[in-house]
Parts: sequence; C-alpha cells; structure tokens
Amino acid sequence: MSQRANYYEEELDDADDLADVGLNLTIGNYGQGGLYEDGMPRIDEATLLAMQQHVAQQVAFAQIPDVVKRFIIQFNNAIVNNNLQEITACYENGWNKLTEQFYPKIEWPEAEIIAPLVNDNPVFLILYRELYYRHIYSRLSPNVDDRFHSYENSCELFNYLLNSDGPVQLTLPDQWLWDIIDEFIYQFQSFSLWRSKAKAKTEDELMMLATEAESTGGSQLWSCYSVLNVLYSLVQKSRINECLAGVKEGKTEAEIQQIAGEYGSKPLYRMLGYFSLIGLLRVHVLLGDFTLALKVMDNIELNQKAFFTRVTACHVATYYYVGFSYMALRRYNDAIRTFVSILNFIGRMRQYHTRSYQYDQIHKTAERMYALFAICNCLSPSKLDEQILSNAKERYADQIAKMSLPFTATTPPNSTTPAVENAPEEKPAPATGALAAYSELFLFACPKFITANAPPYNDTEALAAYIADVPEEPAVRHLSLFLDDIRARAEVPTLRSYLKLYTSLDASKLAGFLERDEEELVQLMMVMKTASRSVTRMNNEGTLLDGQVITTTDLDFVINENMVHVVESTINRKYGGWFVRNTEHAQRVYDALKASPLPITKTTAAGGVEGEPKPTVQEKETKPRAANAPWGASTRKVEFAA
Amino acid sequence: MSSSATKSWLKPAERPEIIDTLINGVDRYNPSNVGILEDYLYHQARTNEYDCLANLAILKLYQFNPDLYNVDVVVNILLKALTATPLPDFNLCMALLSERPGGPSGDDVDAEHDPNVLLPILSSLSRNLAECRFPAFWMLYRDDSLTHLRENFTVEVVGFEDGIREVVVKAVKSTFTKIGVARLGSYLDLSGDALEEFISAVGWTLDQNTGTVSIPPNPDNTIQATVVRESITLPQLAKLLAHAQSVA
Repeated sequence: MSQRANYYEEELDDADDLADVGLNLTIGNYGQGGLYEDGMPRIDEATLLAMQQHVAQQVAFAQIPDVVKRFIIQFNNAIVNNNLQEITACYENGWNKLTEQFYPKIEWPEAEIIAPLVNDNPVFLILYRELYYRHIYSRLSPNVDDRFHSYENSCELFNYLLNSDGPVQLTLPDQWLWDIIDEFIYQFQSFSLWRSKAKAKTEDELMMLATEAESTGGSQLWSCYSVLNVLYSLVQKSRINECLAGVKEGKTEAEIQQIAGEYGSKPLYRMLGYFSLIGLLRVHVLLGDFTLALKVMDNIELNQKAFFTRVTACHVATYYYVGFSYMALRRYNDAIRTFVSILNFIGRMRQYHTRSYQYDQIHKTAERMYALFAICNCLSPSKLDEQILSNAKERYADQIAKMSLPFTATTPPNSTTPAVENAPEEKPAPATGALAAYSELFLFACPKFITANAPPYNDTEALAAYIADVPEEPAVRHLSLFLDDIRARAEVPTLRSYLKLYTSLDASKLAGFLERDEEELVQLMMVMKTASRSVTRMNNEGTLLDGQVITTTDLDFVINENMVHVVESTINRKYGGWFVRNTEHAQRVYDALKASPLPITKTTAAGGVEGEPKPTVQEKETKPRAANAPWGASTRKVEFAA
Repeated sequence: MSSSATKSWLKPAERPEIIDTLINGVDRYNPSNVGILEDYLYHQARTNEYDCLANLAILKLYQFNPDLYNVDVVVNILLKALTATPLPDFNLCMALLSERPGGPSGDDVDAEHDPNVLLPILSSLSRNLAECRFPAFWMLYRDDSLTHLRENFTVEVVGFEDGIREVVVKAVKSTFTKIGVARLGSYLDLSGDALEEFISAVGWTLDQNTGTVSIPPNPDNTIQATVVRESITLPQLAKLLAHAQSVA
C-alpha cells in the first residue's frame, strides 16, 4: 500500500504542472480549487523505504509471467505505431484472455512495475492504468486508494487529450473510447454512493475524506463539477453538437470536417465528444435532472442509423436513460416506444453477442428495461409490440398481475365527506399489493441515483448529526415522487372495468359500485381523463423533448351533468403480421429442407435467399408506428359518429 | 398536427435572449449567474409568466452549491410549478431539491421560512391538484395553518389563485359537457357574481334555471367511437410476393 501511495506522490508533482494548464476551461471550477489539490498525506519515511521498494519492485517484476510481459510490449508497440487493428486485438482479446488466465481474482501488475517494459511511455502507462483500475472495479472491490488514484489517472488521461499542444496523435477503437467515458461515469457514480455511506467508514477513510474535503474550498475529487467539466470539455473541443447539427442540415462530409476543426475532424475526438453527450445524458439522470438529460440529446437522432449504434453498449445505455427520463416526465408512451425499440434490437443481436464480455451488462440492462416497460405498460396500456409484452409477462408475471389490481390510494374512503387532507405532514398510506409491486420493479430497474454533495466529512459534529439522521437515499426519494403519480391514478383500472360495461350510466350509480360518494367519483373521473391524455413525440419530429398531446386509451367518456357517456374504440384483429411471420417461417422450413443432405442435392445454396426477407422487417421496424405491420402496411382509422 | 404541445414549455415566448443563452450553455453551472436567474423568477412572479426550464436551472445550481440555497426562491418556483399541473413540473423540481431541504445549516431559520415545514405543505397541495381534489385543495390552502404561506409567498406570485383555477378549467372542460354550478363553484373556490363573471370570461354559459354550466365542445369532451382496421394493399406485399416467386 505504501508503495503505491509513494508512487503517486511523485506522480502528483507532474500532475500539478499539468493542472496549471487547466482542465477547467469549460465551466470553470468556481472556487473549488484545482483538480489536483489532493490532500494525500506525505509519507516521510518514503525515502527510507526507497531501497526496499526497489527490491520489491524487482521481485514483482520477476513474477510477471513471460506471456504477460510479451503482451505488454506488443500492446505498447501497437499504441506507439497507432496500429488500430493491433490495438483492437490487444484490447478486446489479449487483455481479457490474460485476465482470465492470470488475474481473475487479483490485480494486474502495477504500472510502475511494468514501466521498464515500455520505456516508461507515459501515454501507454496512463492507458494501462485505465485498464488496471477498470479491472479492479469490475472484478475486485476498490479500496479508498484505488478510488482516489483512479480519479487522478482519469484526470491525467483527459488532461493529455485536452491540454496537449493540439490534438494528440492517438488512435483507439470506438469500443475503448466508449468504455473510457462509461467507466469514468461509473467510477464517479460508485464513488458518490460509497461516499454517501458515512456510517461504514474506517478511521483511515474518514481521515482521507476529511482532508480531501478541506482542500481549497471544498472537495474536487469526483465532484459533479469536475466530472461535468471533462464531459463538456470533450463536447466543446470536438464541436460535436455543431457537427451533428450540420449532418442534420444535410451538409457534406467536407463541410462537416470544416465545422469540426482540428480536433473534431479526428475520429478519436469526434467519438469522445459524441460519447460524452451520452455520458451527460447519464450523469443528468443520475442527479435527477431529467429535462436536462433529454436536452443534451437535442442533436442526436434516436434511430438505428445513429452514431451510437457503432458500440452496442452505448446504444443500449442511450435508450435506457432516454426511456427512463421519459418515464420521469410522465411520458409513458414515449418510454414504451423507446424500450420496445431497444429490446427488439437486443433480441435480434442476442445470437451474435453471447460471447462478448459486455453481454452480461447488456443482458442486465435489458432485464431492467423489461421491468420499466412493464411499469409503463400498466400505466398506459399499449399494444405496440405483442412480443415484448409477452416477454415482459414471462419475466414479471407476479408484479404485473399485482400492478393491474385496483387499489385504494389515499386515506380509506369516507362515504359522507370528501376526503380532505388536513394534516400536511400526513404520510402516504402503506403500500398495498399494487404499490409494493410498483416499488419493487422501480427500485430494481431505476438508475443508481446519486447525491451531488458529500456528507460533511470535515466537520466531526455535523458528521455525527448526519450519521444520526441519515437522509433518504436518492433512489427512495425518486421512488416516492414516482408513486405520487401512481397513487393519483390508483382507481383508473377499477373505473375502467365498470365503464367498459356501459354506454351511459348515472354518476351516482357508478359511485355506488365503487363505494364512494358522487363527488369523489367525479374527481376520480377527472383524474382518469387527465391520465388518458399524454404528451408524445410524433414521427420523430423535433427534439426528444418535443411532443404533442394524444389520447392514450381506447375507452373515452364525458360527463353531462350527472350522466356519464362512454365510447370505446375497437382495434380489429391484425392479420398482416401473422401472415408475414408464417410466410417467413415457411421460407425457413423450405430452406432447411433444401439445405439438408438429401440424396438429391442441388448446387444452388439456399443460404443466399434466407437473409432477404429479414432486412425488410428490420428496416420497417425502425418506424415504431408500423411495428406490428412489419412490411409497411398502415392502419387506417375508420371513424363513426358515436 | 404541426403545433407542438411542448413548444412554449421548452421556450416561452417571453423568455429573454440572455436567459435563453444562459440556460442552453455551460454558463448555467456558474454560481455567479444565480442572481440573474433568480431575478428572472421574481419577474415571472410579478408578471404572471412561467418558465419551467429556467427555474430548473436555479435548482440545479442549488443542488451543486448548497450554500446558495434560498428558500424563498424555492417556494416561489414550486408555487409556479403548481399552476402548471397536470404537467409534471412540480415533481421535476422536487427531484432536484434533493438531499436535505435547506442545505447543511437548517437550524437558524424560523418556522415560516423552514423548508422542512414548507415543502411538505406544498407537496400536499400538489397531490390534491394531481388527484383533482379541488375542494380539498382550497380547504387546505385557506386553512389557518397556511396563513404564513399566503401572506409571505403566494401574495407575491401574481395570478397564483387564477393559475390554480386554470388547472381546474383544464380538468373540467375535458371531462364535462355540462356541470352543476355549485360543483364548479367548489372547484374554483368562487361563488355568486365572481363565479358568474369567471364562467363568462372562459366562454362557458350558465343556465340559471337548471343551475348548470354548459361547456362548449372541445377535442377532449367530444367523444367518438372509432374502429381501427388494418388495411393492406397489394403493393405493400409486392416485395414478399416477388421473393416468394423467386424462391419457387
């Protein structure tokens, strides 16, 4: 431990010089001190340990398996030579294979131990440490030093990219660039969650956090400002927003290069800028700012041709956070459409990606999106995609059954006086079956919300008060806001089941069914009406936040004084999809038969034709409206007067 | 079809250029701009304008810089958001008012300005509106325990009560074609001449004999049964059929 601490002591001196250049050009630090104002206690006996350390390093070096040494040399050469193919091979195969073989449960050799192998190439060592810490976060559990040092390394990396003289001559695969941004935010999120748990800290950790908080004007380490700074700096350097706007306007590639400037015209910066936008989407959601989250996506189109589809993990993350933001904005139809689109995509690519090391993560996100889809679909039933619906039912049958149950939201109904909330502090009624199911799915599937600020580690008294009365976890707060909306809609399913039976009935009679008085009933009807109208983005027009009000239910009603009139829209059975699916099935059977080694084999291979109907389906499915009629049929509305 | 329901929410026509530039750029994170945004909020309160995104930008600054937290501003923002119901504005604001209301130092504030007292009250008011329990809203709002809220805050927000009545009008006109005048009065917290004036101001008509108010048809209170039928034309199947032919 002391070895590593000492090593970073030396490293930090260099870092301080870099900090002078300033990563802070974008949004400034606002009096919160430099990025590298790290309060690491200096260990004076470091010099005494130097000799021992040297020996220890040599021992550690000798212990590195030869194949790993060769790999590191090869990896370094690939990076020095900017050989993208080689880098990709090392990154995607070599590293993972050797991790499995030699470091499944232990750390890779520390950077300073392998430094002699790569002639102390600083760029390689930064990238190496990026991988080194990522490995610790994903396979082992990071300790407080890892958390501090991984932040420092991230800063070094971004400083190198942003504050060198002009754009750096480095080429990295898209996947790695995404992983850098993704991991940066993940470590930020992980640190914030760890930091907020003040109770379970050791003396050492408390001391480090306290010193850190003392540093010039407040904690900078993994602070919201420093993280946003990096992301916005990358966005601005690459001029990615201007480029995307240019693409939208139909500018030529040459014009785009012109707009992009010396940084943005390099794939490295362009991709980093682009991924930073997705990163901002994620950070804003984590902090509970759902409008701002969708706002940063203003220039990004959500479709299968978008940039982000180049990296599957990025593609999936984008839809997850966009879908969740729509949910928070109570735009359940938009959320459903978003989830359906990506879940279909994941379903299709499942067969190709099972071996990928990212598959686990994608699979987990998909499960969470099925849960969110189930929630949205209970709140705003839609028949957008039968397949996804039945997949969701397969997974969360219990919860869906409970969520569809009628439940009483507010204080038990009092049949004589309208329910009046006199006590403002009144706690919500205890969760019933339905609310419990909503809560369960929400907490399982929501992002790992974080708090923006640290507990007061530098003030023992305040910290004690904090620990004595720990604030609600952010996820719990967001849940209770979400449940407010659910509670308001609590009676909608019940009302609906009665209304379906009538074309008109007296309000007092309906009230009798629900064991409410008429006034309460009328208020519930207004809630139902409001709940059946929703803002939705139409035909991908405008930005993600744009939309129009649509009716989201097939059952509509109106009250004429005391008489409720009901009409229902019917959707006839759809044969088209069935026809196409069976045609495709027949084709597959036919192809399989032709391909099987029967006595009479024809030379014309069947494989060529097999793929053809499929692209048709994919292409059409990008238009969600037509999803249930994949070959492009439209549904026509035939209207009758009531 | 082309008119967007979110247009004025995303960018109200009254929003000054300087605010627009501010909240759409990275300068929105600069704590020294909080004053500009707060002034704009008080301007909204005085002139009965509303700009949700600009107000969220204030709350964002409070989230990152707890020492900026100003309870008066927060209450004003939330009152404004109440009048936007059934849009989710109130909860969007609450989502940013994270952690501990009032920030780290919550001891030296008096009860009338204690966010720990005020915010739950506002949440109750918001729930009543979201659940369309309008009489309950007014009863709570007029309650003696909320005197300080009315005297210190809502009085400063020009058109607050009319803003709430706007929320009522939205709910009523989409649900009813006719409504009893007494019921409407209890929703609007109005009676007698004031109620009649209000009814004619929104273009509804009161029938004194039957005691009912007629609400003119609008897309939401005009209900229609529809049948959605699938319609497939031959050209749409052309690809499939052509393919079938080529295989055979």
